[in-house]
Amino acid sequence: MVPFMDYYGTILVKKGENMEPAIKAECSNKTNRKLRIKKDFLTESRLGYVMLAPAIIIIFLLAVYPTFRTFGYSLFDLKLNHPTKNATYLNYQVNLEKYFSNYDSAKGLLTELQTQVEGESKEKLAEYLKILESAHDKLLKQSDIAAKENKIREFTDRGKNIDDEALKFSSLNEDGIQTILNDYSTMREYIKKLKTEKKLQDNALQTSQLIDELRDSIITPNFVGIKNYTYYLNPENKDFWQALVYTFFFTVVSVFFELVLGMMIALIINRQFFGIGIVRAAVLVPWAIPTVVAALMWRFLYDGQSGFMAHVFANLHLIENSGVLLTTHAGATFAAIFADVWKTAPYMALLLLGGLQTIDNSLYEAAEVDGATKIQKFFRITLPILKPTILVALLFRTLDAFRIFDLIFVLTGGANSTETLSTMAYKTMFAQMEFGRGSTLSVIIFCCIALISFGYVKLMGAEILSDKR
Amino acid sequence: MLVDYTGIIKKRGKGIMFQKGKKMLAIATMAAVIAGMAAGCGSSSQTDSKASSNGPVKLVYAKGKEAGDGTRQLVDAFNKKHAGKIEVQYVELPADSDKQHDQYVTVFGAGGTDYDVVDVDTVWPSEFAQAGYALPIDKYIAKDNINLKDYMEGPMRSVTFKGKVWGLPKYIDAGMMFYRKDLMEKAPETWEDVVAQGEQLKDKIDFSYVGQFKQYEGLICNSIEFIAAYGGQIVDGDGNITISSEGTKKGLEMMKKIVGSDFVPNNITTFAEQETHNAFIEGKAAIIRNWPYVYGMSNDPKQSKIVGKVGIAPLPKGSVRSAACLGGWSAIINKNSKHPDEAWEFLKFMCGPEGQKMNALSVSGSVAPTLLSLYKDPEIGKVTLLFADPNFVNALSVTVPRPVSPVYTKLSNIMQVEISNYLAGRQDVDTAIKNMDAKMKEAVASS
Repeated sequence: MVPFMDYYGTILVKKGENMEPAIKAECSNKTNRKLRIKKDFLTESRLGYVMLAPAIIIIFLLAVYPTFRTFGYSLFDLKLNHPTKNATYLNYQVNLEKYFSNYDSAKGLLTELQTQVEGESKEKLAEYLKILESAHDKLLKQSDIAAKENKIREFTDRGKNIDDEALKFSSLNEDGIQTILNDYSTMREYIKKLKTEKKLQDNALQTSQLIDELRDSIITPNFVGIKNYTYYLNPENKDFWQALVYTFFFTVVSVFFELVLGMMIALIINRQFFGIGIVRAAVLVPWAIPTVVAALMWRFLYDGQSGFMAHVFANLHLIENSGVLLTTHAGATFAAIFADVWKTAPYMALLLLGGLQTIDNSLYEAAEVDGATKIQKFFRITLPILKPTILVALLFRTLDAFRIFDLIFVLTGGANSTETLSTMAYKTMFAQMEFGRGSTLSVIIFCCIALISFGYVKLMGAEILSDKR
Repeated sequence: MLVDYTGIIKKRGKGIMFQKGKKMLAIATMAAVIAGMAAGCGSSSQTDSKASSNGPVKLVYAKGKEAGDGTRQLVDAFNKKHAGKIEVQYVELPADSDKQHDQYVTVFGAGGTDYDVVDVDTVWPSEFAQAGYALPIDKYIAKDNINLKDYMEGPMRSVTFKGKVWGLPKYIDAGMMFYRKDLMEKAPETWEDVVAQGEQLKDKIDFSYVGQFKQYEGLICNSIEFIAAYGGQIVDGDGNITISSEGTKKGLEMMKKIVGSDFVPNNITTFAEQETHNAFIEGKAAIIRNWPYVYGMSNDPKQSKIVGKVGIAPLPKGSVRSAACLGGWSAIINKNSKHPDEAWEFLKFMCGPEGQKMNALSVSGSVAPTLLSLYKDPEIGKVTLLFADPNFVNALSVTVPRPVSPVYTKLSNIMQVEISNYLAGRQDVDTAIKNMDAKMKEAVASS
């Protein structure tokens, strides 16, 4: 843009000497000056950034933000099925809707319960009633709760839900909250014990449940720092370490076989022979099938009763009997790796084929003249030239294999110790609803993948620097 | 000359305009992208309510895939009855109950309104209530004068949590034994008998015994039946973990003995309900453990090869008792449903006498009603002999519930892994029990 502007600029200056006054005036009027200032501000590189901005924003929103969000969640004890831990809280709060709709009934029931018992229990309950009331007073004194009371009761009395979060929640001062919570707990435990007496059963149970509700209306901060990480990374957590080791094992073994097989396929389909088009297309079929569908297909093929592959393997004496495949650790591991290699070796082959086709045929001809054997040609010419391609292909496959989820999920569901980090994270998040710990696992997967990528990039970077530049 | 100058000036102006236009374009694109994103995030909820202003209120009802089409008939009947006002759309989810659970959690956890009414397993209501996914229906029950005493006590207890009612029970299930009357004189009475008869039967038929031993929820049902039969218990009345006991050990050892025997399928640890009933109705299995629905299915000439040869019996006894896992399904309303009143109408119909009767009568359904009055209904007695069979009533009377806990899924996951590792021979029974005890206690304490 700058040279473009300059071009017109030079012409103007050259011819401007003979310029008529009117035109001169037009040239140097305010608009022009403004434009010139703008021109200085919006240099070529700056405009470049402006044009790129949408892409950068999209990348940030879609990639960076979720990563940070997940990392943030991993620092909280976040449980979606827990009434006071279902969001991230950094300070003490009270859910006034819940509190006010339960306080009166709790108090009423406790008073009633008190009339039903004698002696020591009666005194104890009278004491608890006082504690309940004093806790109520303490809460009402805090921030804006007393002011909100009437407004909230309008809703709760009619059994309506409050949508306005600002009205529903009030933040609390930390002092004394823990004592109130402890009081609620001791009260509940004591009243729960009363239910052993037949006539008290219903009332005692209900009272303890209402007190539970009161306790749950007070929200305590659930920030736990790195506790979720120490939970997983401590050597005692055998399930996690087993999953981590298994994931690495799966990745290394399956990627190794994929590379070897992929290379063989690539070498075959790199040759020219009749029907090469059909062969190339056929080889790619496994890669084209969605993994979940492929996994389901393999599950039927591996089935101990009617599975075709199971019987083939059994007849080849690769396995003891047809039932072993999905019911033992070794069988299931073999089955999963076999299915994964079947599925992704073509992908490997495709990447390598791309590399093979860039190799100049004259190199082979020269080697031929020097009397090199086929094997020598492969190791002296093909492999060295293909090295960067192999590294890229390995990187893609390693990252993919490390996040293996669908295949394991469908084939075994993590049974027989075939749990990988991804299936473990899924179960933690969506079956047990522990989002904090699930996020922690996700971050750990992310870190492992970052490490693997870093290793490969180091390798590849060195390669490219020494050979190509 | 003059023409030249103006021409240049004009050209220059145009050039600037063009540049300016490009900048504007960039800025406009950016603005459009951002606006688009903002709109995409927040506007999805508006379309539904618009659609409902004209035409019937649309509800979505979801449940796991079932063997027959009883539910479809039931939904059609309801839609016919409320034509023009309410229209229920029936969505089938995977048959695996763990997958249904995960699907519900994903939707409800995000405050989604994808489903208005859903079916829930007996062990979910407390979790869903605690998490705020279910709508308490006490006010509707009071309004329509529903007498909760009409329902069986056990199932009703499973939908009651913290003093509120969160759903209505639809049908009750209990693990029971089905056997081939033509292959044995009488059903085995103890698990030892199962082993003894299994040895004898193995030459006559492919498998003598089949149950559910895949690592999933069904494994828990089968395990607690073995554990309770030998006097073990997983959780006591106050929610304390009591799994570490001699009874648990004996029960699990018996289970392992059967799973490891040569009269069961060699891949029995991949068997769920579907594999079990397939083996049975194809005439490959002599004794199976499954839910009552198998009765209707195995006497249906369209799919079964063993019509008329099916006997039912309570599950075998251990050293202490006979125990059947209490199953069954209830229906709840999504707390965020846009049409709770209409959803209640559907729930009331489905779980009321009319709906339960339809379910009980559907051929492959043969599910046991939770309404006590229906057991005396002559029409039901005529069509399904199952409910009139004293053995069926006996089987229902020995039920043991699965642990009631808001962290049930976690407890279940822990048990699934430890028990299936034991069955696969990767650890001994004492380690399995020790691990379960420690992990389950940790799970309960941290909730």
